[in-house]
Amino acid sequence: MSERRAFLRTLIGGGLFPHSTADRDDDAGAGGLSPAAVERYSRQLVLPEWSEAAQRALGGASVLVVGAGALGSPVAAYLAGAGVGRLGIVDDGAVELSNLHRQHLHFTPDVGVPKAHSAVAKLGFLNPEIVVEPYQAAFNDTMVEGQDLVVDCSDAFDTRYAVNAACCAAGVPLVEGGVVGTSGLVMAIRPGATACYRCAFPQAPPPGAVPTCAQAGVLGPAAGVIGSLQALEALKLLAGLDGALTDAFLQVDLATHDFLRVVVRRRADCPDCASA
Amino acid sequence: MLDVTGLTCPMTWVRTKLELERLAPGEALEVRCAEGEALENVPRSAADAGHDVQVNGTIVRIVRR
Repeated sequence: MSERRAFLRTLIGGGLFPHSTADRDDDAGAGGLSPAAVERYSRQLVLPEWSEAAQRALGGASVLVVGAGALGSPVAAYLAGAGVGRLGIVDDGAVELSNLHRQHLHFTPDVGVPKAHSAVAKLGFLNPEIVVEPYQAAFNDTMVEGQDLVVDCSDAFDTRYAVNAACCAAGVPLVEGGVVGTSGLVMAIRPGATACYRCAFPQAPPPGAVPTCAQAGVLGPAAGVIGSLQALEALKLLAGLDGALTDAFLQVDLATHDFLRVVVRRRADCPDCASA
Repeated sequence: MLDVTGLTCPMTWVRTKLELERLAPGEALEVRCAEGEALENVPRSAADAGHDVQVNGTIVRIVRR
């Protein structure tokens, strides 16, 4: 077991959650598609741009979802449903009543339950053929090592920059996202090849300048749209599909239905990705 | 010969598509389809994907592009 896996294992905790499949280390993504897998994934396998090779790429992939909230719920649900072989769900919070209007992996009886565990239990029901692990902890650089992709579903700028820096340092592709009110942003990043989040936004806004979704509020479906866009970008990167949202970010205003794709270039002096 | 007579749309084309992915360009696959929806949709989906298609009775012969 690698050092990273040993570290992550310490975060999973006791066997309270039968759908945590953490002990199944090496069986995801091996071999061809079973008849059940062909049926489970048939509506994506039937797509001209999808294939058994794409499905197996997903099955062999390890993806970290940072945050099990408004963005993390659709991201984790779609990636689990699509057949990503190993999902790690990072969240150090517990489910609150005020989360439920937008965080659809959690339900009223989950109030008080650690979000990572609540999410993993639902994801286990959704797709028992994959490995899903709860990491009840704040984001830590170590979690990125060995991942094939990270999806940042956090709601704080310091976490977002930390995830971007860690992914650039480790060379792990990243899908960034954020939502507040009825607007949001999505960006796909291939460190060393395409612009990173800090290339697009070199400076974090000063504390208090941008309200968090807890302060400003957010409509659940708006978070669902942004999280769904993140999940779609994640699938494109994992399966090698055309059209990934790299060297650009998508700014989405759902009040006006404006989807604006803003081109971004790598910065030669970017402290996060210039040496990636 | 791939027999999809026991399947319904879209599984008829999913099974056919997965078999075609295993072939090299120019290789042929024969698919036995039930009359009706499958016999209409499998040849059409194969042609839409750019393959050469011939239908003889309930046998659809597809040459991978």
